[in-house]
Amino acid sequence: MKGAILKVTENVANPIINFLEKGLDKKCFDAVLIPVKVPVGNSFAWVLIQNKSLLEDANPLPPVMPVQGAKALSSITRMGKTNKKIAAIMRPCEVRAAVELSKLEQVNLENIFLISIDCPGVLPLKDYLERPEEAMDKFNEILLGACPERSRRAQNDIEWGNESTRPACQVCDKFVGTDLGFCQSDLHIGILGTKDKNIFLIPNNEKGKSILNKMDIEAEKSMDNWEKKAKELMEVRKKKKKEVQERLKFKVMGIDNLLDVFSNCINCHNCRSACPICYCRQCYFESEKMKLPSDDYLMRAKSKGALRFLPDTLLFHLGRMTHMSLSCVGCGACEDACPMSIDVAQIFSFVADNSQGLFNYIPGKNAEEPLSLRIYKEDEFHEVET
Amino acid sequence: MKDEFAPKIVGFLCNWCTYAAADLAGTSKLKMPPSLAVIRVMCSSRVDPVLVLRAFLRGADGVLVAGCHPGDCHYEKGNYYARRRFALLKSVIETLGLDSERLQLSWIGASEGPRFQQVVTEFTDKIKKLGQNPMQKKTSL
Repeated sequence: MKGAILKVTENVANPIINFLEKGLDKKCFDAVLIPVKVPVGNSFAWVLIQNKSLLEDANPLPPVMPVQGAKALSSITRMGKTNKKIAAIMRPCEVRAAVELSKLEQVNLENIFLISIDCPGVLPLKDYLERPEEAMDKFNEILLGACPERSRRAQNDIEWGNESTRPACQVCDKFVGTDLGFCQSDLHIGILGTKDKNIFLIPNNEKGKSILNKMDIEAEKSMDNWEKKAKELMEVRKKKKKEVQERLKFKVMGIDNLLDVFSNCINCHNCRSACPICYCRQCYFESEKMKLPSDDYLMRAKSKGALRFLPDTLLFHLGRMTHMSLSCVGCGACEDACPMSIDVAQIFSFVADNSQGLFNYIPGKNAEEPLSLRIYKEDEFHEVET
Repeated sequence: MKDEFAPKIVGFLCNWCTYAAADLAGTSKLKMPPSLAVIRVMCSSRVDPVLVLRAFLRGADGVLVAGCHPGDCHYEKGNYYARRRFALLKSVIETLGLDSERLQLSWIGASEGPRFQQVVTEFTDKIKKLGQNPMQKKTSL
C-alpha cells in the first residue's frame, strides 16, 4: 500500500482543510461536502461549500453524527449526476452507505470524489448535547489515542472505540476506508499510526491517484505503519463484536425477549427516518395497508383478551430488518435517533450480519456488485424449499 | 370430546401454477384438511417478506408461499427471486429465535393437483404437531 504523507500543524483537521483548499484552487473539484459546526448551538451540519474561505469552519471529523453523510449526498445527487465535481469527506460507514444508495439509484457517484477518513467512532448524540464541551474534550482524547506521542495520557487508556463512543462504534470493524475496511472511497485519510505528527493520504483507485497527481502530491510513501495499526485495532474490534453479539443473543432471542426489548418503542419511526438505507418514498408501514377498521382491532383484542396500542410494533421492526438488513452498514444512526434508547443499532446489525453472511455480501464494498435480491443462481438455497 | 386443534394456514399461491393446482385438486375432489386460507398473487416473487411476517405475527399457525417450479415461472425468473427473499426472511426469523418451522416455501406446478393435496396435508400435520402459534396470545403484538 502506497500513499502520501502530510504534516500536521495545529490539529488533525488542519492539513485536511489545506488539502481541500488546494483541491478547490486547482479545480480538482468545484465544491466540498463536509460537516461544519452550526453557528449557534453545538451540533454539526453537512454543508456544501463552494467558497474556499468558508472551509475554515469545517470539521472533517466531528464528534457526533446527527445526519448520516450518505443521506446528505443522496439529497444532492438523487436526481442524477451533478454537473460539477464534489468532494465529499465522510466516515467509512457513510461512504459504504453512499455506495449502497448508488445501487438503489438514490446517489449518483459519477462526479463525486469520495474521501474517507479513519473513524475513532462518534459519541452518542444525547451525551454530546448534554455536555458539549466535556464531550468534545473526551472526543479529542480518543482521537489523540491514534497518535501516542501527542496523547496526554497513556496510550492504552484511551483506545479508539472505547466505552464513551456509541455502542455501534465500539464494535465496528470497518472503520477504515480502504480494502481493509471493505470500503470503496476514492481517497482515504489515515490518522492511525502517525507517529511523527503526520496524516496519510491513501489513494484507493485511479480517480484518487489522478487527483493527487493534479495537486502535485506524490503518493509513493509506504503506508505500513498505518496498515499495521489499523489491522491491530481491527482484530480487537472483531473480538469485541463477537463477545457483544454473544451477550445480545440472550437479550433478544425468542418472542418474549423481543417483545420486552421493543416494549418501550413509541412507534415514532425515527430509526427509519434516520436510516440512510431506508429511502422509500412510500413506506409500507405508513401506507393505507396499515390503516385498519376498528373491527379488526376489536377482533384481535377479543381473541387475545387485550391489545396494546399503537399495535404492530414488532411487525415494523422485523419488516424493516427484511427490507434493509442486506444493506445495513451498521452506522448506528437509528440508535442515535431513538428517543426511547432502545438498542436498535445493535439488534439490527446482529441480524444484518447473519443476512449478509447468507449471501456472502458486504454492503458498500463494491459499487459494481449487484444487490443480493436482484440476482439469483438457478441452483441454490434448496434447504428452504419443501 | 375435546375439539382437535385445527390449524389456520395462510397460503400465498401464484396465479399461474399453484393456484391452478389448488383448483385442479378441488375439481378432482382430492381430500385434504380445510386449513388453508388462500391468497392469490400474480407471482411468488410478489410476496414481500413483510406480508409473510404480518400473517405470522397476527397469529397464523403456518404460512405457505407456493409457486411454479424453478425454471417454469410464468415470468421466467420470479420464483428464483422469491426463493432468495424467503431465504432472507427465514434467516431473520431464525436469528431472532422465532419459529421458522411455521413458514414454508413449496413449488407446485399447475398440473400437480395430487402434489398440492400432499403439501397441504403434510404441512397441516406438521403445524398440528407444533400446536397453536404463540403470537395469538401476545397482547403487545
